[in-house]
Amino acid sequence: MSDRLSAYEGIVGSSRITQLRRIGKKLGGIRVVHVNSTRQGGGVAEILDWMVPLMREAGLDATWEVIEGTDDFFEVTKNIHNGLQGRPVDLSHRGWKIFQEVNEMNMERLRPTLTDADIVVIHDPQPAFLLPLCSERKGKWVWRGHIDISRPFRPVWKVLRTMLEKYDASIFSMCEFAQALPHTQYIVPPSIDPLSSKNRDLDMSELENVRARFGLDPERPLLVQVSRFDRFKDPVGVIQAYRMVRKVLPVQLVLAGGTATDDPEGKAVLEDVMEVAEEDPDIHVLNLPPNAHETINALQRLADIILQKSTREGFGLTVTEGMWKGKPVIGGDTGGIRLQVVNHHTGFLVNTPEGAAHRIRYLLHHQNRISEMGAVAREFVRENFLLTRHLREYLTLFLAIRRETDVRRLEV
Amino acid sequence: MTPFQVKDCGLLVRMSGLPSAINLRELRERIAACSENVLFHHFCETQLRPAFDHPDYRNDFAVWAKWYLSDRVLAERLGILDPFSMSSLEELRAVTLDIIDERLSEVAMIPSAAQGDEFFFLETTTVVFHTEEQVTHPRDLAKTIKDMSNGSVYYHFLEARRREPVGTDDFSAWLKEEEKKNAKYIRALESIDFYFHSLGNLKEDIVAALRKVDRKR
Repeated sequence: MSDRLSAYEGIVGSSRITQLRRIGKKLGGIRVVHVNSTRQGGGVAEILDWMVPLMREAGLDATWEVIEGTDDFFEVTKNIHNGLQGRPVDLSHRGWKIFQEVNEMNMERLRPTLTDADIVVIHDPQPAFLLPLCSERKGKWVWRGHIDISRPFRPVWKVLRTMLEKYDASIFSMCEFAQALPHTQYIVPPSIDPLSSKNRDLDMSELENVRARFGLDPERPLLVQVSRFDRFKDPVGVIQAYRMVRKVLPVQLVLAGGTATDDPEGKAVLEDVMEVAEEDPDIHVLNLPPNAHETINALQRLADIILQKSTREGFGLTVTEGMWKGKPVIGGDTGGIRLQVVNHHTGFLVNTPEGAAHRIRYLLHHQNRISEMGAVAREFVRENFLLTRHLREYLTLFLAIRRETDVRRLEV
Repeated sequence: MTPFQVKDCGLLVRMSGLPSAINLRELRERIAACSENVLFHHFCETQLRPAFDHPDYRNDFAVWAKWYLSDRVLAERLGILDPFSMSSLEELRAVTLDIIDERLSEVAMIPSAAQGDEFFFLETTTVVFHTEEQVTHPRDLAKTIKDMSNGSVYYHFLEARRREPVGTDDFSAWLKEEEKKNAKYIRALESIDFYFHSLGNLKEDIVAALRKVDRKR
């Protein structure tokens, strides 16, 4: 009996945990390998950080492999990432060659692990070319797309599709992201770990330490956006919205983020943000290390309102995190944010800095709505976006794809 | 009576393989061609998806007509459809198509959604979990249902109607093992207007109906 799975019983109930153990038992210790491109930084690494140990505790032989790449490779994959999210990018033949060569290099190292696995889950495009290199594979391969590829830049998608077509199944966070592929496409929204250092309850003293560390004024409302320094997260739009509110209300803004090893563009975006912030003492641009989970947790808890004004978003785990902390979220009307932010229930969806400013002012003038929406938001996450639901869907999916045909009903 | 075995369930959602629909004519074509599982998902399994308790309509087609086709007339006509009052999913399909055909004959231009707001056709695998819990006497049913998850309520009261005996919920099917003795419970369950409820409200109504019978005994 594992302690870690049992620890969630207090949050989701013991029956949910029993269900996970039952499916795990039914899968009978199969070997599952997850592959992605970074151990730290970003939502995928955070998901795998809890998912792999919990899969092991449910009885699977689960492991997590990270591909190694050169700076050139991560430049290319960032372009692929941007292209898949719809931005026109210039990807040369040489770029795709680098992409293939780095995948080949990694395949040599990972071949024994991947060949024997019962199920391989490849996360995002970076390691996608591993499958065509593994002709002797024994198990099922699943591609998991975490990003919004609803309207990809066609030249990038056309090349990537030739790789993805060979997979046995794929997983998307929302049906809007799915593309025409010749295999079953599952819809599995991601989730958060309520007991992780990023989401666990914090003492008041821990909150006060973080407040003091960054010189935040306890008397004035605090707006917080947590996300990588990425143009799709629209940090500049957030500053514009803050400035519109600042004219009439004494708010403070925290833009907290970091850069991941697989994201070479982050530094340039951070520089742009610093320039736009113009040393305003009430704009706190925090470039945090990838392991600053408690700090992020505290900032989200200190916030009056969470912002996530993305223009493209795969799912937006920072939205889920903010909601779990009982905060209303003002989010971009895009991707997975639409699944989580429901106007007047858990926050507001906006399309412009003006829209964000309007909703910030509304909430700050209706403090009771902040607490009401925050309470609804937390319960919405408990019911739909915690890791136990996510893990159950993965385990079920493993059962389903090992049966070769789509099944209408599975008894566990 | 045989003990009633409590089960729970969850859904694993997948794309049906049908192309998405961007206008009412495409919606009609896809509904005519889709499998019964797809139809069942968009009419009946919506209850188990992340949502708030009081959406305008219970089925996805009505919601899409209202929000993305901006056709409130069609939304209202589709929104009142109760799939559990039909004898089969084929009857449901025929009635749905009839409503859409009627609307297509009324409008001057075919209602259309913006790119990105297409209707996506989904289906699911239902994962059924056996629990350790069981009910041995009808008087304990209300108490057990009160503590059930939404998944259990859905499985035993709604999804059950698709299984043998078709059109009957699991609780009633169990109570019918001693039909005469349990007639009041069975009638109480039959009296619930359940389709337009959220699962939370439905659970409350089932418990209230059964407890009312208990009090009268």
